Amino acid sequence: MFATENAYYPDYSTKPIQHSFSPYADNGGSVVAIAGDDFVVVGADTRLSAGFSIYTREQNKLFPLSNTTVLGCSGCWCDTLTLTRILKSRMQMYHQEHNKVMSTTACAQMLSTMLYYKRFFPYYISNILVGLDNEGKGCIYSYDPIGHCEKTTYRAGGSAGALLQPLLDNQIGQKNLTKVSAESITQEKALAILKDVFISAAERDIYTGDNVMINIITKDGIKEDNFELRKD
Amino acid sequence: MPMLGIENSIMDDSNDWRNAAHSTGTSIMAAEFDGGVIIGADSRTTTGAYIANRVTDKLTKVTDHIYCCRSGSAADTQAIADIVSYHLNFHGMELGEEPLVEVGAAIFKELCYNYRDSLTAGILVAGWDKRKGGQIYSVPIGGMCVRQQVSIGGSGSSYVYGYVDANFKPNMSKEECIKFVTNTLALAMSRDGSSGGVVRLGILTEAGIERKVILGTDLPKFFEG
Amino acid sequence: MSVLCPEIPTPGFSFENCKRNAVLETKGFALPKAVKTGTTIVGITYKDGVILGADTRATEDTTVADKNSEKIHYLAPNMYCCGAGTAADTEMTTQMISSQLELHKLYTNRVARVCTANQLLKQYLFRYQGYVGAALILGGVDVEGPHLYMIYPHGSSDKLPYGTMGSGSLAAIAVFESRWRPDLEEQEGVQLVRDAIAAGIFNDLGSGSNIDLCVIRKGSVDYKRTFDEANKKGVKQASYRYPRGATSVLSTRVVDIEEVAVQRIEPERMEIA
Repeated sequence: MFATENAYYPDYSTKPIQHSFSPYADNGGSVVAIAGDDFVVVGADTRLSAGFSIYTREQNKLFPLSNTTVLGCSGCWCDTLTLTRILKSRMQMYHQEHNKVMSTTACAQMLSTMLYYKRFFPYYISNILVGLDNEGKGCIYSYDPIGHCEKTTYRAGGSAGALLQPLLDNQIGQKNLTKVSAESITQEKALAILKDVFISAAERDIYTGDNVMINIITKDGIKEDNFELRKD
Repeated sequence: MPMLGIENSIMDDSNDWRNAAHSTGTSIMAAEFDGGVIIGADSRTTTGAYIANRVTDKLTKVTDHIYCCRSGSAADTQAIADIVSYHLNFHGMELGEEPLVEVGAAIFKELCYNYRDSLTAGILVAGWDKRKGGQIYSVPIGGMCVRQQVSIGGSGSSYVYGYVDANFKPNMSKEECIKFVTNTLALAMSRDGSSGGVVRLGILTEAGIERKVILGTDLPKFFEG
Repeated sequence: MSVLCPEIPTPGFSFENCKRNAVLETKGFALPKAVKTGTTIVGITYKDGVILGADTRATEDTTVADKNSEKIHYLAPNMYCCGAGTAADTEMTTQMISSQLELHKLYTNRVARVCTANQLLKQYLFRYQGYVGAALILGGVDVEGPHLYMIYPHGSSDKLPYGTMGSGSLAAIAVFESRWRPDLEEQEGVQLVRDAIAAGIFNDLGSGSNIDLCVIRKGSVDYKRTFDEANKKGVKQASYRYPRGATSVLSTRVVDIEEVAVQRIEPERMEIA
């Protein structure tokens, strides 16, 4: 037998087989942030998964960078670990060089630079950076994986981002509504909407569930909150 | 798709074991002895790395005196065995007596050869008839048909050709042959990852079939390094 | 073929768009994804019959398409069938075989056997070489007693005392392998099947929502739709009622109802002569 190809016995095949390694994994998860006049709330679900399996039901995806700044990450978890590790050391270096804590706005600019530094081998993360600006107002910066930065007042990112953003546009941005109220959002309302949208996301997105970790940032510092989602 | 002992690389649309074809990555064998034939098989059915069935019966009845050992795609071999069984029983009714083993083997061959491009089936046809006594016909992938005194098949068989060549003797006693078949299958199962579970045996003689099961815990043990 | 006298369609599948779609696909126009029941389905035999179980989540990629889908299908009065894989295929396949079994019952004047249903299903699936993506667990009770079959999309089948299928099959089989034994009582069996499905629901992302059960005994069936609500939906904190006038009215036109022509169609009498 001189057949070089045998469909039934791949072990004896002489055709070259390409093996490839994928450096990225999508570990899912969603982050939502809402900013007000003197506060900002950010929440992330605590489910870490890959494919159809759950790695853990209690993974915090919020990273406090200072007393007024928090970063929420979802996407490739190993990239998140690397990025936040470098981010924290850069924060420390800034602190030691300038003898002051980096402001939220400076943090936002630095993150953008750090992401673009890896333009051709990006960190596969959906980042949402929240905090209080120099006047004490709540602010949100959202990023694409290669460093594009946008300043907003509300944002949904991660696996349920596409599901939730239109809802926030309507409920907070008051899009497609005629009777627009001029009042800015209260902390209670923001927190209620944040929790409610996560309940909705857990209904339809398989990568969102288990728990939500919430950070409420005011001039008094960061307060933590936690509530349960469905576990299926 | 469940497979009995041969890796199926035709299903390249997905590497997911759940969508992969079932195949009997298998160890099967048949041996003539004084008075009939003994057929044997392991009991593992796999889809990729997952064991879809650990108590499979790969010794499938065709007529009262003719059985087949299946290896390859579970779906293909089950369908072929059903069709051959239908034809052969019909033939037996027209004939008014038990069909010959070689007729059964010929029908298997006809299907396996004509549909060789779309089938993954390696089958051993074994049985007893009054003309030639115990007989074994091997119908491997491609649709050849050849009579053998002893025959092995499935992915596990590659590990035990040497053992079979060294230990098979024509006209063994029933007990001696049972021991030989059990040993061969135990050796194949211990080396081949897609074979395992229990050993199922069938002793085909003039009286019909006598079935035996040897549980995994009762299998003969050999050198295990 | 005219509009007045439409041609009777030929039975079986229509393949007329296959070539066109293949060409479109090479030009980068991919086919829409079919709804898959990334699923946990299970079945066991117990002392007096069989118990089938299923979760109720149907997914489209990573989105939940149906939160309460029915995956235990009716086959015959003494037979039911759990379906995993392509939702449309499991639904249509079981409906078609159900109809054949009903005719078979009327023709033979006997309760259809489970092995007959198995043979019909596997022969149908084998004919379509795995392209009809239905993975089924067939359970029923007939004159021979309780039977359980696992039927795979390519047309092979296994007769087993217990089994699981779908993306949650590993989580569920682990429960069975540790706790199933012959001659379980009905109560124990129901609990075991519930736990197996729950294992799939919580550990497999493709499975979720509620647990459906179906207990088949000799002469009676208990179909327990939503036997257990494994997950409770969270309670909303805010109200999402829109205030009056939230939607803008761009223009208004009033049409008097009497000006509209109403066409009344008299229902045709059924011929009963």
